[in-house]
Amino acid sequence: MYGWIWRHLPGNAWVRGVISLVLVLAVVYALFQYVFPWAEPLLPFGDVTVDGASAGGAGADQ
Amino acid sequence: MSVRLVVRTFSELCITAGALIILFVVYFLFWTGVKAADAAEGEIDTLQSQWAREPVAQAPPPGSAEPSPSPSAAPAPAPYRDGKPFATMRIPRFGADWEWPVLENTAVGTLQKGLGHYSGTARPGDTGNFAVAGHRRTYGDPFKDFPKLRPGDAVVVNDGTTWFTYRIAKKPYRTVPTDTAVVDPVPRGSGFEGAGRYLTLTTCEPEWGSSHRLIAWAHLDATRPVSDGRPPELSG
Repeated sequence: MYGWIWRHLPGNAWVRGVISLVLVLAVVYALFQYVFPWAEPLLPFGDVTVDGASAGGAGADQ
Repeated sequence: MSVRLVVRTFSELCITAGALIILFVVYFLFWTGVKAADAAEGEIDTLQSQWAREPVAQAPPPGSAEPSPSPSAAPAPAPYRDGKPFATMRIPRFGADWEWPVLENTAVGTLQKGLGHYSGTARPGDTGNFAVAGHRRTYGDPFKDFPKLRPGDAVVVNDGTTWFTYRIAKKPYRTVPTDTAVVDPVPRGSGFEGAGRYLTLTTCEPEWGSSHRLIAWAHLDATRPVSDGRPPELSG
């Protein structure tokens, strides 16, 4: 998988290294910006209200 | 050859999954705190510039030690806007620099920026129950030290015109998430009898779980116009 990506990057080893680093940073950015904020409310740690709902809702019973 | 390819790809997927999990833990334990601290600071700045621009219209009569509700005398204050800050909260037990904005409603996105006021419960200082929820872990850990609250501890709320000093009535109370009576105007289980000016704080219990909730109740002890400076509880 990673070998396949490496082989398909252009340039010599240095250029490939720089491109790989940029790719890794882009993936980490996408994870922190979009994927993790979406996934995090699915975990139970945010349930801090009493509202009868299992997920942290908007206090529907209030 | 093909076996080698399969094994190699499988190993790479395992390494990728491990890296993902580590990154998620970093995000969860560290990055949410950075985001929440930034958001809370922004909300407090918003509040302070708002208060500096247009004084809140519900100032109590000068010189009155007790808050006077008198809804007939003053026009009803504008309703709080969803997701917007309207007060700050300080709890000296949690540290001298512990200060969080209180935002209207308890939606997931609201609680990521500060403490959330249960919509429909009383305003600070009013008769009834001013109920506020906050994260115990992640998003800045505002209520991390919740179990350390003890009777007599001060909870100081500032709505731009008045400092409201509430006093914790008893040690935190553990209950189930469906027990909505704990934020009733006269909260059930609090030991309070009859109408009064109460405050309820809720957070999750256990620390990293969601099976229960931890509740703390307080009653209004003193009010002080903002123009008179900080209440003595905050200087100690």
